[in-house]
Amino acid sequence: MRLFLACAAICLAQVHFGEVSSAQDVDIRVPSVVVAGNQANISTGGSGKATFYLVGPGVSRKSDVSLGKEVFLSAQDLSVAGRYLAVLCSSACRSAAFYVSSAQPHTLAFLVHPSRVAVAQNDAVSGVALPFDLFDNLVLSPLGVNLQLTGGGRLLFSQALRTRDGIAWFRSSSGRSAGALQVTASLDKVSAQRAVQEVASDPCNLRINGQRTPTGVLVQTEPVHDCAGNAVPDGTIVTFSATDSSGKSTVDAPIKHGIARAEMATSGVTLITAASGVVMGNELRLGSQ
Amino acid sequence: MNRKSKIATRGLRSANAVAIFALLFGVVIRSYAVDSNVSVELDSKQAGPRTVERLTEAGIIRDYRFAWTSMSRALEFNTLDPLEGCFAGQAKDWLRHTVAQQRISGLSQRYIDQNHRLEAVFYAPEGDVMELHDTTEYQLQITEGGRVIHDEHVVMHYIVLMTPGADRWVIRQLQAVPQF
Repeated sequence: MRLFLACAAICLAQVHFGEVSSAQDVDIRVPSVVVAGNQANISTGGSGKATFYLVGPGVSRKSDVSLGKEVFLSAQDLSVAGRYLAVLCSSACRSAAFYVSSAQPHTLAFLVHPSRVAVAQNDAVSGVALPFDLFDNLVLSPLGVNLQLTGGGRLLFSQALRTRDGIAWFRSSSGRSAGALQVTASLDKVSAQRAVQEVASDPCNLRINGQRTPTGVLVQTEPVHDCAGNAVPDGTIVTFSATDSSGKSTVDAPIKHGIARAEMATSGVTLITAASGVVMGNELRLGSQ
Repeated sequence: MNRKSKIATRGLRSANAVAIFALLFGVVIRSYAVDSNVSVELDSKQAGPRTVERLTEAGIIRDYRFAWTSMSRALEFNTLDPLEGCFAGQAKDWLRHTVAQQRISGLSQRYIDQNHRLEAVFYAPEGDVMELHDTTEYQLQITEGGRVIHDEHVVMHYIVLMTPGADRWVIRQLQAVPQF
């Protein structure tokens, strides 16, 4: 009795959840491949009325159809790339799956880093390009992407990239001149451009001069440039150190109009040095007044 | 048979009845419950050009599993709330659209016993996008008003784009393909 009840319960559960049986009275044929945004037709076989379901990414549709006639699928129904399921139910249900693939590239997502970079840095600029179709599907077929880096009206770097699984990427050194670096990725008629601000690198050949004043010394740098000759941005800190008979004193001064300047209270013979970042300037010795 | 043994016999019969009903309804409840059994494995050995760190791997596994659990809930119960925070961009758009259409058509989808094998194939130099290939298998049921109109065990291939959000990785692209 218990065994019977247990079997009955399991059988009831299986019937309730309806193992989908293969229906002999309906037939459904789907296209092998559809390109996103295109229309398609699904063929049905048999006779009489049935219910048609289309389930896929972004679509869930139900309609009454006449068996033996084609079911029309609009471009809007099939705009998202992925797997679609067509289900036809009359006395029982039959289903078939098909894939929608992405269409031609329409836009290029282009991520470039960083937005600001020092000049003459190895592998400092990188980017990723991803082609998408009109419906924002990632285009997975291999595509050629032309990459160009231009600065100051000159072509600095170019490379022919090829997408793999919908992605192309690059890495490049920054240019030698401060200013805007234009990074352009193009794919047929589609292109995307990003700008990277290139700024001077660390100061190079830091040189200082100075003179006595009634209260101490006035020291200043010569115009500060990096090793490529770019003016180091205003606000960059230069540290001056003065050593005299009473000891050592230090002061930070920002570069203003290309020059850093500081006044220091010293007496007697004074040795002055300057540094910015890891760069040391020349030593300056001033005698007593 | 004394009074005590009669009570004991009645109790045994009641227990049997309860057990049978539990068996019957247990099947029902299990079938309708949200299946939270989502298994995710990640292989990031081939990812590049940036190396996928161990903590990043753990984050991807955690957030991908959560995203699929959330997506399953959204598509089973036709509610948009679970999609918040896990999806962005095109993936979120089509999921919202699917839920909206399912509310009209009366359909729902169930993803049961999901097993995802992820392979990270690209990790951007600056770590702002990762592409993964997901070979997954699950039982897919499509129901209309509780009636199953489609039930199949499927092996699917997904191209996945994930990007880091404020506190988690989000899925921006979830595109099924016939094969990799």
